[in-house]
Amino acid sequence: MMNSGAAVRADGLVKRFGPVTAVDGISLELAPGRIYGLLGPNGSGKTTLIRLLTGMTHPTQGHAEVLGVRMPDRGVLARIGYMTQGDGVYPALTAGENARFFAAAYGADTGAAVNEVLALVDLGDRAKTVAGTLSGGQRRRLSLACALVHKPTVLFLDEPTVGVDPLLRVQFWTHFRALADAGTTIIVSSHVMDEADRCDELLFVRAGKVIARGTGGTLRAGARTDDLEAAFLHYAGDAEAVA
Amino acid sequence: MSARRLRALIRRVTQEIRRDRPSLALLFVAPIVITGLVTFILRAGETPLPKVALVNELPAPMATVVGNVLTTALEGDGITVTDVPDEAAARAAVDARMDSVALVLPADLASGGTITFITLGVDPASDGAQLQRVSKAVVGAAATAAGTTVPATAHETIYGGTGADPIAPFAPAIVAFFVYFFVYVLTGVSFLRERTGGTLERLMATPVTRGEIVAGYTIGFGLFATVQVALLLAWALGTVHVPSIGPLPEFSIGLGISVAGSPLVAFLVVLLLALGAVSLGIFLSTFARTELQIIQFIPIVLAPQFLLSGVLFPVDSLPAVLQPLVRLMPLGYAVDALREVFISGSGLSVGAVQLDLAVLALIALFFAVIASLTIRRDVV
Repeated sequence: MMNSGAAVRADGLVKRFGPVTAVDGISLELAPGRIYGLLGPNGSGKTTLIRLLTGMTHPTQGHAEVLGVRMPDRGVLARIGYMTQGDGVYPALTAGENARFFAAAYGADTGAAVNEVLALVDLGDRAKTVAGTLSGGQRRRLSLACALVHKPTVLFLDEPTVGVDPLLRVQFWTHFRALADAGTTIIVSSHVMDEADRCDELLFVRAGKVIARGTGGTLRAGARTDDLEAAFLHYAGDAEAVA
Repeated sequence: MSARRLRALIRRVTQEIRRDRPSLALLFVAPIVITGLVTFILRAGETPLPKVALVNELPAPMATVVGNVLTTALEGDGITVTDVPDEAAARAAVDARMDSVALVLPADLASGGTITFITLGVDPASDGAQLQRVSKAVVGAAATAAGTTVPATAHETIYGGTGADPIAPFAPAIVAFFVYFFVYVLTGVSFLRERTGGTLERLMATPVTRGEIVAGYTIGFGLFATVQVALLLAWALGTVHVPSIGPLPEFSIGLGISVAGSPLVAFLVVLLLALGAVSLGIFLSTFARTELQIIQFIPIVLAPQFLLSGVLFPVDSLPAVLQPLVRLMPLGYAVDALREVFISGSGLSVGAVQLDLAVLALIALFFAVIASLTIRRDVV
């Protein structure tokens, strides 16, 4: 099971909230420099899985490793980027101040790197704008900038494109691909199936389990359909039949 | 007005409040607890038995007769009486907190002289309760011994003075309470925003430690608390006279409350109290989900301190069962220290002030540690 080359690894992860099992025995290994899509409906356990992998919450059972370090571990956090489902930026600070603050929190460069990352998300001219007055899409971009400002090796993006217009969504995926090509491992959660083909590999998540894993093509072929949504339902049906 | 729409609104409001347990507690439980506490304090509270330093300046043989009658009357009422040679010795005994009331019987009592009561003057409510008990016994006994006329009495204080600014004895409690109140609310709401706005989760995903977060907040808010305390003390203690300019009459800015001690020591006391309020705000934000709920903690956390810390009722007159609680309340230590500074003129060299400052610092540190422990990784 152990693969020393894996960027992210989970072994029998379980997370229960009272009677609810949000993550139900997930084991996985994710290779460096690839984009992984966690696909599943709302409430399927994607966010909890990301929180377990980033060490934001303690597992009920099992464990997670990032870059070979068992989570939670504060030391490795400087190499991880995490974009939460909400914007998670300070509305009273300017875009530049937000990015600078998170750069400092990660112990990264607070000078040129901040300008670079703001330019990367097309907010270079908004550096002095108070975050609370930015549009919804601009705040999402700022949120992404804050997750990228320290040049992480592993990037967790929880529903990064929710509420983002199609043009901006294309820009986001262009950034993600460029980062992956540069060696960053990216884990993106989404419930939007049409984004799936932009990932190198997909993990279908349902009821706290990974019910299928593969490229978009192999998953479609396995389900004998051209439609990814139909493929998901096919595997979900299989999972239910097994359960 | 549409009855249907109105019904829908009423239903929505009641449903919302019904599901908000802290609001329900505030609405129904908090008033019962607070009024119960006040009633308990008033009914079960007892003024501690006064200790009287008696100065008997009457000529013999009247001194012996009146002295014996008075001592018997006082002791019959449970009051401890110690004979002291002169007024200076009596004042020294009260100042050293060995006695609570000095009682001076003048040489000319029989010919209409005035009996003088001397109290410390630091806590007017406590002084008043002690004085009432002593004077009741004294007036009756003195009247019996000296003849049919009831002697005149006068009240003096060692600190403050009866002719001093009437606000002075209350100013320490008012200053301390409102600084504590506003710093708590500001920090509690700010940290709650950090939790609910998703930035705390994000912050916890960085190498920043919980201790660094609490220290950052404490120092950050501490800077504003410093300015707030300095401003409030300058406003309370200072007076700036603005002369008449043209048609404008002259006027003054500032409350001009007299302070016997160093304003810098008072500043230090209130600042330590405020730093404790920062940690308390962070800690209590753990249990709140909305900004309203931060406000709802006030009846639970601040109201008992207001009632039990000597702001309204003298601490030594509180029911015995509540006395240990007072020892846990930062506001009590701040009010005590500020009264020492404002009225007695005590400085950092006085043991009581040192103790109050040390406890305030410890309480601030304790809540800072607790607050950092409550910033869990399982954030909202």
